[in-house]
Amino acid sequence: MWKRGSSESSDRFEYLQTLVTEFQDTDSDEAKEQVLANLANFAYDPKNMEYLKELQVTDLFLDMLTEENDNFVEFGMGGLCNLSMDPECRDMILQSSGISLVTNRLSSRREETVLSAITILMNLTTASSRSEITDPAILQCMLRFSLSESPRLRNLAAVFLQDCCSEEQVARAEQQMQGQQTAVGIPLPKE
Amino acid sequence: MFSECAQLDQSKRSRAEPLFKIRYYTWTRNRCVHIRERKGSYFEVSHSKNTSRNMAAPVSNNSGCWGAPEVYKHHEQRKVCISRPKYREGRKAKAVKVYTINLESRYLMVQGVPAIGVMTELIQLCALYGAVEEYRPLDEYPAEEFTEVYLVKFQKLTSARAAKRHMDEKGFYGGVLHVCYVPEYETVEDTRLKLQDRRRYIIRAVQNKAREKQQEAVNKDPPSSDTATTSKTIITRQDKTSDKNNTWKTSNISHYSSFPLLPVPPQEHHYYGHKSEQRTIPTEDKMGTLHNAITDTKQQPEQSSSSIQTSSDRDRGTEHRLTSHQSSAVRFVPRTTHLENRKRRMEEAAELSLTDVTGNSEPLIGPKLPEPPKLDMEDESLNTTVNLIRNTLKQVESIPDLKPVQKKPKPRRRI
Repeated sequence: MWKRGSSESSDRFEYLQTLVTEFQDTDSDEAKEQVLANLANFAYDPKNMEYLKELQVTDLFLDMLTEENDNFVEFGMGGLCNLSMDPECRDMILQSSGISLVTNRLSSRREETVLSAITILMNLTTASSRSEITDPAILQCMLRFSLSESPRLRNLAAVFLQDCCSEEQVARAEQQMQGQQTAVGIPLPKE
Repeated sequence: MFSECAQLDQSKRSRAEPLFKIRYYTWTRNRCVHIRERKGSYFEVSHSKNTSRNMAAPVSNNSGCWGAPEVYKHHEQRKVCISRPKYREGRKAKAVKVYTINLESRYLMVQGVPAIGVMTELIQLCALYGAVEEYRPLDEYPAEEFTEVYLVKFQKLTSARAAKRHMDEKGFYGGVLHVCYVPEYETVEDTRLKLQDRRRYIIRAVQNKAREKQQEAVNKDPPSSDTATTSKTIITRQDKTSDKNNTWKTSNISHYSSFPLLPVPPQEHHYYGHKSEQRTIPTEDKMGTLHNAITDTKQQPEQSSSSIQTSSDRDRGTEHRLTSHQSSAVRFVPRTTHLENRKRRMEEAAELSLTDVTGNSEPLIGPKLPEPPKLDMEDESLNTTVNLIRNTLKQVESIPDLKPVQKKPKPRRRI
């Protein structure tokens, strides 16, 4: 039983490696998008977590966050959203300064990207990273999202504000918002 | 055990106050007509005396998640990708799309349901994949002509996932269903729980994987001295047996725990696999199946000694069950005691499965014992659903004119 399991798993590893190689070698954006989506979906299944870690797919996804192609960003963010559920991957993302990369995409026009970003930030919250994630700028973003028309965005932002930071922090962010009205300028996702 | 279940049930029910909402249909001229008015709809409107208005208009609801539906982008069926190279082609043609937990939900929207009054059948189909907590037609949602759209809320996300996978793009009474997640119907609490469950699941899965790996390492060199320490993680209660016993056992046990460690519903192949492995049916052995007898003689002395030694200091556990089975195959057991044992084991298994669900730290080891005979469905969630449906059917059937079958065509006059 476990013998068959191990041979299956080595097949899986090879397959994932082939995907990563194709992603790196191909010049076609379309192929890249497909492979990226594939990898991001593989990241959903915890069975693949280990191989994806070994292949350093976390860094591959993080690289996508600075791309111009919106699909790259969305799929990379989705992959990170899936991977960041795992504590080890979370630490890897934190080490590669994932928080700022993810935060920079909170202004994306795509709802899916923003939703993934919020979930990632929640997943990345640890005792040591909490102060960075509860930065007033991020909280102001979340406050704005919590007023959004989209119920998904509204709900997720509400969970963030309730679970990841203290009420005082939220109150302070609210005050700052009223004082400066900076966060009003943050565009809400349209698509 | 039963009181616990009942409590659980109640708490679930109180969370979802409107348990289910029913739409009534009547039949005129062979076509289903909604009692409820549809704005600018093609359908006729008829009025029935025994339907209450508020039943038919469940939109105004305190939960807030049943408001007027909006069309979102993720409801669309994306274009299937056809430019994939061979090695990346799956069994099914699929679009380029990334699934995350945000996209999933225990709320499903089912489009393309033929408007011929098959809501009950639809919900029955849904219930095959898990308990349905709530459902209602989405009349306000733009639907194709002669089709309806339904919102189905499952008790569990896993059920919704299974339902989506099996029902999407499948034929249903002459129509083709399109099933998609509709997370926008979630409440904040739904969203929170969904994320928490997911995180917990991942952590557990990763831990199990690591444990399995450890075992594999153990299996590769069983006689090494560190077997005892590593196997401790799996066999929690075993510590005092000799090394010899240990090696045999670890290899045997790891075999079982390479099955998923989550509580698995009784499955046939599972059950039989274990049965043959462990020789719980002595009849066949005693009738002279030789290969079993041979392996038995090999393992018998070690087993029996260990079972005697270890069962004394262990109260009750999966390990205990395992060893007792094996020894039962060896010794002659009178039929009455055998039956008694079996009954006791069944009770034990029922208890264990309960504790496993709540505690879940312990791996499932040992055979799947036959479930105590239940009324019908062998699954708690299915049973609740069946009850729901039965009640619904009762209510629906109490209204005259509902079923087309009941309305027999006028007997033709013979000339």
